[in-house]
Amino acid sequence: MLNINFPKIEKKDYPNLELNLVEPIHKLNLRGKNRDFFTKAGRILSIMLPTEPNTSATIKSISALWLSPDEWMIYGKDIDKNLMLSLDSEISKLNLGSVTDVSDQWVLINMRGKNVFEVLSKGSPFDFNKFKDTKNVTVQTLLNHVDVILHQNDTNNLDLFVRKSFSEHLWLWINDSSRSL
Amino acid sequence: MFIITCPFCGERDQSEFSAGGEAHIIRPKQPTELSDDEWADFLFMRKNIKGVQFERWNHAHGCRKWFNVIRDTSNDKIHAVYKMGEKPPSD
Repeated sequence: MLNINFPKIEKKDYPNLELNLVEPIHKLNLRGKNRDFFTKAGRILSIMLPTEPNTSATIKSISALWLSPDEWMIYGKDIDKNLMLSLDSEISKLNLGSVTDVSDQWVLINMRGKNVFEVLSKGSPFDFNKFKDTKNVTVQTLLNHVDVILHQNDTNNLDLFVRKSFSEHLWLWINDSSRSL
Repeated sequence: MFIITCPFCGERDQSEFSAGGEAHIIRPKQPTELSDDEWADFLFMRKNIKGVQFERWNHAHGCRKWFNVIRDTSNDKIHAVYKMGEKPPSD
């Protein structure tokens, strides 16, 4: 199901920066507000959805990113068809919230190395000073005028989500910026 | 350029937001009973004052939530930010 055409992104190495396409990988968008939604989502995913702004929660290889007070992105290699069916039957079909498969909408690029934030700072209005020293934080912002979701798994290890139609353009921009480090 | 404190995400650059015009304009309960002039007044007429103004903003490139801002249009100083449905701060 996930073997669709991804942009031609190959692993690149620059001084203190490694860029890599992490695809295919499942991504889900969860929306909901009430207590039953939180309980069901938490039980199925084995993760408490983070309610604190700009944070994330990761257990095994599934991460839940806070996107807004009633919206989260779930992604990871452990998401399979059974888990998606469980979410669908216990949340969507009971009208507790919405579950949308956004695997094909977003492209995941992993950036790691000491120069990650040097590159991002060239094209983003976001102040990375506090962000870069904190683990498991997430932010939605702009990079070279393109919407991105950033998730810092570990120090200087960042997952960048970009909409597929912008991904090739942003990939070229990131590479251009990385060459002049 | 200025910084806006989104009530959900925190401080962000203005370029992440889109302005939604004047705040607290109440939709008429019976639009069909309005004259054309009254309807046009509701739809189009805005204060656009030089000074402190109540505005709606949307964090378009962040959490995509709407909220209200009290901003001085002459110097872009933001006096207060509050969520939709909340009353403006009295100070």
